[in-house]
Order: sequence, then structure tokens, then C-alpha cells
Amino acid sequence: MSSHYEAPIRKPLVTGNKSYHDVSVDISAAIEGKANKQWWIVFSIALAAFLWGIGCIIYTISTGIGVWGLNKTVGWAWDITNFVWWIGIGHAGTLISAVLLLFRQKWRMAINRSAEAMTIFSVIQAALFPLIHMGRPWLGYWVLPIPNAYGSLWVNFNSPLLWDVFAISTYLSVSLVFWWTGLLPDLAMIRDRAVKPFQKKIYSLVSFGWSGRAKDWQRFEEVSLVLAGLATPLVLSVHTIVSFDFATSVIPGWHTTIFPPYFVAGAIFSGFAMVNTLLIIMRKVSNLENYITVQHIELMNIVIMITGSIVGTAYITELFMAWYSGVEYEQYAFLNRATGPYWWAYWSMMTCNVFSPQLMWFKKLRTSIVFSFFISIIVNIGMWFERFVIIVVSLHRDYLPSSWTMFTPTFVDIGIFIGTIGFFFVLFLLYSRTFPVIAQAEVKAILKTSGDNYKKLRDKK
Amino acid sequence: MGNHKKYWKSEIELSSDNEMVHKLRDNEFVNELPIDNFLENKETLKDTNTNRRDFLKYLGFSTAAATLASCEGPVNKSIPYVVQPEQIRPGISNFYATSISDGFDFANVLVKTREGRPIKIEKNSKSEDQGPNARIQASVLSMYDSSRIQGPTMDGQDISWELFNLNISAQLQAMQASDKRIVLLTQTFSSPTTESIIKEFVNKYSNVEHVVYDSISESKSLDAFEILYGKRALPTYDFSKSDMIVSFDADFLVDWQGGGFSKGYSKSRVPKNGKMSKHYQFEANMSLTGANADVRIPLKPSIQKLALLKIYEYISGENVNVKLEDELDGKIKKLASDLKKSSGKGVFITGISDVNAQLIALKINHLINSKVININKLSLIRNGNDTKVDKVVKDVINKSVDGLIMCGVNPSYSLPNSNVFNEALKSLELSVSFSMNNTETAMLSKWVAATPHYLESWGDLEIKSGNYSLIQPTIKPLFDTKQFQEVLLNWIDSNDLYYDYLKLYWNNRILKGLSWNQALHDGVYNLKSVNPLQYINVSLGNRINELKNSVNEGFELSLYSKVSMGDGKQANNPWLQEMPDPLTRVSWDNYLTVSKSDAERLGLKNTYESNGALNSNYAKVLVNDQFIKVPVVIQPGQAKGSFGLSFGYGRTSGVKNELQTGVNGFQVYNQFDSTQSVEIEVINEVHEFACVQLHNTLMGRGDIIKETTLEIFNTKDVGEWNHVPRVSLNHIATPVTSPDVDIWEKFDSSIGHHFNLSIDLNACTGCGACVISCHAENNVPVVGKSEVRRSRDMHWLRIDRYYSSEETFFEDNQTKDDISGLGEALSVFGKMENPSENPQVVFQPVMCQHCNQAPCETVCPVAATSHGKQGQNHMAYNRCVGTRYCANNCPYKVRRFNWFLYNNNNEFDFNMNDDLGKMVLNPDVVVRSRGVMEKCSMCIQKTQKTILNAKLERRVIEDGEFQTACSLACDSGAIVFGDVNDKESEVLKLKKDDRMYHLLESVGTEPNVMYQVKVRNT
Repeated sequence: MSSHYEAPIRKPLVTGNKSYHDVSVDISAAIEGKANKQWWIVFSIALAAFLWGIGCIIYTISTGIGVWGLNKTVGWAWDITNFVWWIGIGHAGTLISAVLLLFRQKWRMAINRSAEAMTIFSVIQAALFPLIHMGRPWLGYWVLPIPNAYGSLWVNFNSPLLWDVFAISTYLSVSLVFWWTGLLPDLAMIRDRAVKPFQKKIYSLVSFGWSGRAKDWQRFEEVSLVLAGLATPLVLSVHTIVSFDFATSVIPGWHTTIFPPYFVAGAIFSGFAMVNTLLIIMRKVSNLENYITVQHIELMNIVIMITGSIVGTAYITELFMAWYSGVEYEQYAFLNRATGPYWWAYWSMMTCNVFSPQLMWFKKLRTSIVFSFFISIIVNIGMWFERFVIIVVSLHRDYLPSSWTMFTPTFVDIGIFIGTIGFFFVLFLLYSRTFPVIAQAEVKAILKTSGDNYKKLRDKK
Repeated sequence: MGNHKKYWKSEIELSSDNEMVHKLRDNEFVNELPIDNFLENKETLKDTNTNRRDFLKYLGFSTAAATLASCEGPVNKSIPYVVQPEQIRPGISNFYATSISDGFDFANVLVKTREGRPIKIEKNSKSEDQGPNARIQASVLSMYDSSRIQGPTMDGQDISWELFNLNISAQLQAMQASDKRIVLLTQTFSSPTTESIIKEFVNKYSNVEHVVYDSISESKSLDAFEILYGKRALPTYDFSKSDMIVSFDADFLVDWQGGGFSKGYSKSRVPKNGKMSKHYQFEANMSLTGANADVRIPLKPSIQKLALLKIYEYISGENVNVKLEDELDGKIKKLASDLKKSSGKGVFITGISDVNAQLIALKINHLINSKVININKLSLIRNGNDTKVDKVVKDVINKSVDGLIMCGVNPSYSLPNSNVFNEALKSLELSVSFSMNNTETAMLSKWVAATPHYLESWGDLEIKSGNYSLIQPTIKPLFDTKQFQEVLLNWIDSNDLYYDYLKLYWNNRILKGLSWNQALHDGVYNLKSVNPLQYINVSLGNRINELKNSVNEGFELSLYSKVSMGDGKQANNPWLQEMPDPLTRVSWDNYLTVSKSDAERLGLKNTYESNGALNSNYAKVLVNDQFIKVPVVIQPGQAKGSFGLSFGYGRTSGVKNELQTGVNGFQVYNQFDSTQSVEIEVINEVHEFACVQLHNTLMGRGDIIKETTLEIFNTKDVGEWNHVPRVSLNHIATPVTSPDVDIWEKFDSSIGHHFNLSIDLNACTGCGACVISCHAENNVPVVGKSEVRRSRDMHWLRIDRYYSSEETFFEDNQTKDDISGLGEALSVFGKMENPSENPQVVFQPVMCQHCNQAPCETVCPVAATSHGKQGQNHMAYNRCVGTRYCANNCPYKVRRFNWFLYNNNNEFDFNMNDDLGKMVLNPDVVVRSRGVMEKCSMCIQKTQKTILNAKLERRVIEDGEFQTACSLACDSGAIVFGDVNDKESEVLKLKKDDRMYHLLESVGTEPNVMYQVKVRNT
């Protein structure tokens, strides 16, 4: 960022003749202003869904997992489907803020804050499921290697579920630290602008005494780089480990070596889709069109298209491997996915994840806001079905035909899922009213290179 | 050093005669509590002056009182022995030999008691007869049934036994004086002393007639035997001697002629020296017996009769003038000539309830000189006489009987015309019902005598002629009950107790000087006296025509008794209700079995719900002028034109609401004929089934159940018929069982015990005795119909049943192997989901396979399931957090999850929610709580007990001492358990047997459970 020069061929990343002051004003507008009616409506719906979810969780814990639709053959269904889905969504944040930082992708500046917030909120949703899916969640702490007085009683380090515990908690903590570090200059900006004493007090507390000295900035840059370096392997590791839950098992359809890269690609795919979903709404509601431009959306669409193609390749590879393996159980498992009683889930997955992102090859479509939003929703649905197909459809017909059965969710299964969506939006909506949703300090840093007014000035010369 | 400091409160205290000082010294609280003032009068309450201090006193008192009241500890109703009984030691089981004879099930058993409670029925190894079947295994729970009648009643009012006996004796005498007719309607007792007491009773009251009534009648067989051999009894069959078994609708592995044949049958079914018996079954319903047959030919009952006549023609040479289809005729001709050539090792049996058919069967056995049938060892467990029963019922209805005393029977439920009979029963002058439960009959009888369960009773039994056995109580009667024999003795004014009578009778007539204590200890005493019967040559001329004329063109209904429910005596037993039928795998119901083509023609349907649960519509079954509404199960192998319906369901009285399941088949049991001509209509209402197995075919997965034919088995190399899957190791096909392809490090299991379990698919008949035995031993909860419907049955041991999609499983495998291309795969696998119209059937008991490399063990995050030194895969319930990962990763799907709290929960109101029902729990096995996984433990409590006992006695454990509940219950010898580190053990021999294979070898789990390849003699 030493030079302010940027090739004219690159499109401006900040439009609307913004000055540094404009950026501050625009970003703090949502925090300093009052919530409008729409916000309250959406918030109420999200809160209602959240409360309904809490009710369903209380019912489950007080009565037993039996209130879900599971059975002796299908021991996991919506619980772990939702878990993997949320974890996958949580992948985009770190990818955008860490990997794109290392690759010096300037367009990440406008979206990394919200993407990371989304990551943290969705990992919270995800972490809920391994806990409540337990038959005795009150003993959930037993999966932690806590020294105890029961002699040699210890956790089983062979179990992928235990690896999950470490992977997710590491991911959550690193993401949280990384996010907060990035927030410091922006929170300080809000603090400095705040007029109400209470607000000022809170923002001073959370901005950790940021003063904006050169030393602060130097350390800030260093920490960001170190954390980005730490977080990058996590992007790959978390979903790799989640995929081990399945890949290390013996069930046909689970026991697949392609799972780690396939899961990571799928996670980035779904994560970007969710970022698109959220930001397309947010740029409209919070008047941030000048910061999150069509250019940003187009770039994300390209990522969706590429990862969607990787996922599609993985699906086809799975089918090929099933055939090539010569293992009859494996072959039947995949035949059953495509043509068995759950064919509709498989083909929903295929349509949403493999076919629909291919439409992004058309420039007209990938620069259309409405279409991008539509596809982002489709991809999220598709990725949910992918996990459903892997989990339920593999389990419901495995080795011994005598145990084959079907799964149907109960209202509790559905209620808890809706509850987590509600919880996620409650968190996100509160965040959008209290946090600087765009990393304004970083946007300011690229304003002179990528702001449209500055670019125009240079181009005229 | 005493402290005599005195503290003064005021100087007034110095003047000792001050009134105030006295008052204060004597009474800490000077002011009286104004309680009277306060509580006396409601109206004046608001005027009372409760001041602040009083209020605080009240508050203090009531808080203290409430606290004290709430601190009361839970009351445990355990009462210590005042005098410790010598034999009862906590933690040590006692075993008593006794016998069951409930009128339908008869067997010698061994009862395990703990702290004075009988908790488990096992087989009495001293007995020659067959061990307990599933119903008998479950019968222990029927004793702890809280809905039992707890004392004698008159018109529904409790009454004392003295008054009860006094009143009835008086009435009996009065009725004798006025010569009113009384009928004593009882079950078959086959008990020498009971029969002797009844004889004395009938002698005393000349107006009493004794009639024996078997709810499911064998009267036709008894009649036929009487005609040919002059004695009303049933012959016995020793199938272990057989080479060739031809059965016409005889479900002899279940309840045909009282059952008890599977032990001998299984012996003949295991190939030995290249030989095994060949079993032909001609039948209408797909029975358990038919499922085990080598050749099964579905025929509707009428055609069976013709085919039976034809066999008779080919064997006897007597022309019967019957024309059959050419194909069938050819088969029968071949069969007849084989039977003739069988040199006494063939046997021909039939279950057709027609005296002529029975006669022909006996005659064929005579003609082929069968050694399998034994006409000198007689079975005495069925003695009912249709004609007499029919007459009694008619007489009751037309009021020519004035009194009815019933014991062990439930005519109000089991008579086809029970409605009319019930009306008449209510208006009888004397109606006495001896009953354990508030059965339909007991509810309508004026007098109900509460009888004890057989585990609370004395008695004796002669199951087969000369095979005597004793019944002894294993617990003091739980309720105020008296045995039938005891009451009868009272009514004939005998002062004997039944016990004295029994002992005297046995000492004088049976033991004749031998030790009574020894007999009681053994439970059985065999007398080897034979009075050979003579064959009476009877001409069949007319009978052949009679049989021919009974042939029916239309639809026919075959009534049968189901493994789990029998004649319905134990309908209130939740273990039996939850036990799936071996064939349809449906629990908690009976149903009309229909062939697929008839179902399509009539519009009868089976459908599946989105969670897999089975549904059906109803059939309206019209018999004569009455009809019943029955749900439908499409049954592969059901003969076209025939339907099946089981007895034992549709009980409405004395049975908990939730256990009142199914339809009463007795309603259409007209003339005690198990074959009825019917018409069927469709009722389009939905019936919900609880079926534990929703996929019926094996999908060509030949390595799950390996099977071969006797010919291949005898002539080909092991590799041909017991093929071990191979995997490529450095481009060399290597057997998956080879240690080279194993990525795991092996544990050293050569030291100590290492348990293995072998299951012989040839010997297993699928009877399910092991399922109930496991249920009882391991405190497996009953979860009820709606949970089973959600595929949440808890059985640790299940018996998978598969139908072939083609005619044979061999063809299934070929069809699958011949698939080429994706398109064909799609269509072929689709077709393979449907069973053939007349499929081969196979049973495979599956429990935890105790893998040496267990997939479940690696995935549990808290190490709740781990491997034992003796080979078991352990489950630490209290460590389990319930992630269910282990169950998902189990290739055998044997793990069962506690979805809810199944004990002390009103939602699951079965025996574990009932103080009395909980008495049956095995104290050696923990009752699992909500949210934990459970599964077969290889009965570790039993193996540990054996080890500890041997240690105490300082001896080496012999082979056969180690047993699991299932191996102990398996009378056919299919399940063998033992220590493979014992070089002499049977299980090690089986492990080295050529027929041995492990389930899903290719997964590499290295199980400790093994199977023996099924050999079919086709």
C-alpha cells in the first residue's frame, strides 16, 4: 500500500466520491442513528424464531432425544447436518480476512468485517449442535480432557468427535481474536465520535485504549499478519477435521478419502454464498452501496462458481470411485443416493450446488444483484442438502438390509434448526446496529488507490 | 470448673417473691400464643390482634414445620429378614426345577431366583423334552403382573376363601340334591394328581361332568390316533432320526400338536458325514416351519387335501380318483417314491384339522414304516374333545346346563360364538372361574377363584407318557390365591393340603420308594414302562370321499398360532407383545396375511410412511354370516387363494389398554376348524403397524448370509461355497482375513479367556426363544408400539429374516453379479427390493458381534465403549454421553439408544413402571438411564460369575460352563458360546469348522461372533 497507484483497468472499489470523512460518517451512521421499522420487524421475527428454538431445545433436554425423528439406524440427522452446515458457513470469514489478506486482495476490505462476524455467529450456532445432540448434554464437559479424580478416566484421542472439539474451539477463538483486533481502530473511531457518555464509556472499553499512534498502527499491522498466518491453516483444518467424522468411519458413503478437500471447498462455497446473502441486504439497508459494489459481488460470485465446480467434481469423483472400487456396498450406497427413496435430496443438492453456480459464467448474471441473491440462497439450500445426503442417506441403508429404514424430522428437529437461524440473525442484526460493519480504517487505507474520485483524478492526468 | 455466674436482668429479681420473677423463671415465653384467639372463629378473624411478634412466631413455626416435613427421607420398602433363611444369600442365585402347564405350553424348566424372586426361566437339562420356548421364557413376567386377581371374588366383590368355599360347597350340594347339571370345563392338565382329584370330585358330585377344552384344538388328530391305535393321545416324533420330512400344513416348529419338536429337527438339519434331512413343506401360510424347509410348495388348504390324497395313492396303491396339475403331480409322485424308499427314516405329518387327513397321515407313516413317529411314547399335552366341548357350549346356551366351573380356559374369549355363550354364562345358576387375570370369562362369572401363577404352585405333569415332572413353588404366593386342586380338595371335604396329596400320590404310585426330594430336585422322573399299542387296520374308502368333498373352490382362511402369543393367555405380557413375529417381523399386532397377487386383485395394500413405518388398509373377512375387520400384511409365500390369521390377539379384558392389540381370530374358529372358507372385502382405513424390519430382501448380498446346497457342500472345495472376500495387496488378491491386510496392531488374546459365539444358520429355526431370554436376562426395556413403529426397538438380539427376490438366494446373487451397466443396475436393484412370490427364507440372529477391531470403540469421544481382555466389546453406561456415533459407525447396527427414560416413566407404562413388574429385573444387570447407548454384553455378568465360582472352588472351568442367555435358551443348539483359549472347547471346533465365517469380513472388524454357512438340501 506504499504507492497510491493502481492500474486504470482495475475498477474502483469505493464509489461515490468519498472522502475520509464521508467514510467515517457513512459507517457510523447505522450505530449513531435510530433503528428503522424494517430493522425492528426483521429483528422481531428473528427473536421469535430464536425463542421457539430455545423452547424446542428445552423440550429436548427435559424429555429426551426421542422427541427428534432419529431411530436405531439413523443416529444422526438434522442435528449433525445443521452442525456441518453452520460450520461450513463459518468458513468464508477467515478465508476473506486471512487468506485474502495474505494475497493482498484489496476488495476484501469492504466485506471482511461482516464476513468474520458471520463466521463467529455461525460457529456459535454450529457449536450448539454437538452439545444438544448428546443423550446427556449435562455431561458434555466429559469430552474435554479435564484432569479428574476418576483414576485413569480420560477422553479418547482416537475419536474424530474429540478432534472436532479442539478444531472448533481453536477456530472460534482465533477468529474472535482476529476479528476484534481488526475492530480496534474502528471502535476507537466510534468512541471518538460518540457523544453520549454511556456509549463513549462502552466503546472506550472495547477499543482497548486505541490511540492511533504510529506504534499502534505498526503493532496492528504485525498482529494482523501473524494472525492471518495462524488462521490460514485453520481454514483448511476445521472442515478437514469435520470431514474426518465421516471419512474415518466404516459406513459406505462416509468412508471416503476425498472428503477433506471436498468439505473445505464446499465450506468456502457455502460461506461465500452466505456472505452474499447478508451483504446484498446490508448494503441496501445500511446504504453501503458505495462500499460494497457490484464489483465486490461479482468477485464473490466468481469464488462461488469456482468452489461450486470443485464440489461438483468431488461429487462426480465419488460416483466414479464407488464404481471403480468394486465394493458392492459402496456402489449401492451411491446408487441409492441418486435413485433411492431420498433421490429428491440428492438431486436438490446436485441442482443447487453443481448446476446453478455454472450460470455465473455469464457476466450479465453474475453482476445482477437480484440474481446473485437468488443463487446465494439456492447454494445455501444445496449445501444443507449435501450434508443431509451424506449423513442420513448413507446411514439409512448401510450394510445389513434388515436395519434399513427411513428418517422423518419432527417439529422439534425443524424448530431447533429454525431457532439457530433466528439466533444467527438476532446476533447479526444486533451487530449491524452496534459495530462498524465495514473495516473503515482499512477502507480509508485504500481510498486513495481505489476510490473512484482519486482514480478519476489520476486518469485525467 | 463449673460456671456459676449469674446474670441479673433487673434489680426486681432480688425480691424473690415477686410474681413477675416467678413467671419469668418458669416460662420462657411469657405471653401465651393467641392461637385460640387467632384460629377460633372465622368471622372474628379480621378483628384479632396478631401483633408483629406473633406473626413472626407463626412464621417461624410454620417454616420450621414445613422444613421438617420436607426433610423426610424417601421410604424404601425393604424389610430385613428377622430370621435369615438358610438358602437365600444376597447376590447368589438359587435354581429350582419346576414345570409349566398353562394348558397351551408345557415344559420342564429351571427357575433362577434371586433374593427369593424368580427372575428367569431356563431349561431343565435333566428333562428329555424340549426346553422353554419364547412364551415360557416370558412367563416369569406374567407372575409380576399387577393386574392379576388378588383374591377370590363374588359378583366382583372381594370375599374370603372360607366364605367362598363354604358358599360354593353348599351350592354344589344343593344342586346335586336337585340333580342340576354342572360341567367342569378345564384345560388339558396332563397332571396325574389333578386328574385324580377331579375324578374324586366327579365321584362325589354325580351331577358334574368333566370336559377338557383346548382353545386351539388338536381333537381331530386325537380322534384319528384313537381310531388307528385305540387310545386318545398324540404320537411323538423324533425328527433327529429323520432323513426326509414331509409336512402338510403342520407348523411343527411352533405349536403343532403342542410343539416341542424343534430340538430334534435341528439335529437332523446340521450336515453330518455329508448327510442332513430333507424337509418338504406344503402349506398355505408362510409358517416358521415352512421358512425352514428345503422345498416349500404353497398350496391353499383344499388343494393340500387333494395332494395329500394323491400321496396316499402313490404310497398305498389305493386309487383315490384325484386329478392334480401335472407339475404338482410329478413332484408328489417323486416325493411318494422317495418316502417309500426312505427305509423308515421318512415321516409324513399334517396339520390339516380334519380327522380323515390325520388318519391318512398316520396310515402313510405306518405304510412307510416310519421310525420317526413313536406310537408308544405318547404326548399327553392336548386332550380336548371338540364334540364334547361343542355339546357343552350348546347346552349352556340352551340352558340345559346349570353350573359351569372353569379352570385354565377362557371360553368367553376363545369360543367362536362367544357372544351368545357369554349371555348364557351370565344367567347360569353357578358359574365359577379359576383365573389369574380378569379374563373375559372371569368378568362374566359369578365366582372368581384367584389362582396362583405356576411359579407359586405345586403340581405334577406327565408331558409324554412315562415322563413325569413336578411343579414346585419358587416364591410364596404374591396374592391371596389358591390352586384349583386345593379348592377342589376343599369342595370334596378333604382335609389334605394339595402338597400332601401330591407327595403321597407320587410316593405311592410313581416313585414307589424312590426319593421324593431327589425327584423334586431334578424336577423330572422318567418311567420306562411301555404298553405297546396295536395298529388297527381301518378301511379308508368313505373317508377318502369325505375328504375330497370338503374341498372348497373359494378363498380359504388358515388360522394359526403365533410364536409370540400362542392362544393369547399371556396377552398382558409386554415382552411378548414387543417380540416381533419371526416372519413378518411385526410386533404388537396380528393381521391377515395375503399373497401379493390376491392383494393386488382385492385392493389390499401395504404402504410405508415417510419415516419408514408400515401401514395397511383393512380387510373385511366374512365367515358365514359374521365378519371381522383385520389389517393386512402382504406375505411372500402365502398360497394364492388363501389367507392367514393368528390366534391370541384381540383380548379385551384383564389386559392393559396399551396391550389390547390385534383382532380375535377365535371369532372365526368355527367347528374348531383352522381352515374356514371366507370372502374378503376392502375397508379403506389406515392401520399402523409396528414392524421392526422394513426391508425384506437380501439385495444379493451373499456374503451376509453365506449358503450353499448339500451337493456343493459335499463335493466342492471350501473356497467355492465359503468364499472369503479378497482385497488387492500389491496387486495380489489377498483374503481380507489375512493379517497382512490388517492395519491394526493385534492384541494378545491368548492368555486368559477369550469368548466366541457361534451361530449355526442350519440349526437356527428362528423361533425367538433367545430374544426373550436376552430380554429377561439383561433388563431390556419394553418401549411400546409407537416407539417400535419409529424403528426404536431395544432388542439386543434380533433375528433378521430375509426373503429371496428370485426363487432362491443363489439366483439373487447371480442376478446381482450379472448386472452390467448403470441402467441395468438401476432396474435390477429396484426389483430386488421386492421378495419373490414364493421365496426362500433365511433367519440370522444378530447381536453385538464383539469385534476385535471395533469401529464403535475408536469413535467414542469419551471412551465409554472399549475392548475387554476377554474379547468383549464393553459398554460403560455411566460414562456414555450419548453422541450415538458408535451406533452410526456400527456396520451391524446392533446398538440401541435410550431415546427416553424407559423406567419409572408413565409414558412407558410397562413392567419397569410398576413396583411389581420391576421385581423381574435381574439385579446383576444395571437398568440403563435416558440418553445412553446399550447393547449386547455377551452376558458378561454370567461369564464373570462362572469365573468367580470356579476361582472359589479352585478348579478349571469346563467347556459348556460359560453360557450366555441366548446360548442357554437355544434348544436347537444353534448358538454355542465358549472360550476359544480352551483347546477342547466346542466353540473352538466350530471356529475351525469349514462352514465358519464372520459377518461382513471385508470391513475388517474381526468379530468374536461367527456364523456357520447355511446348507440347503435342495
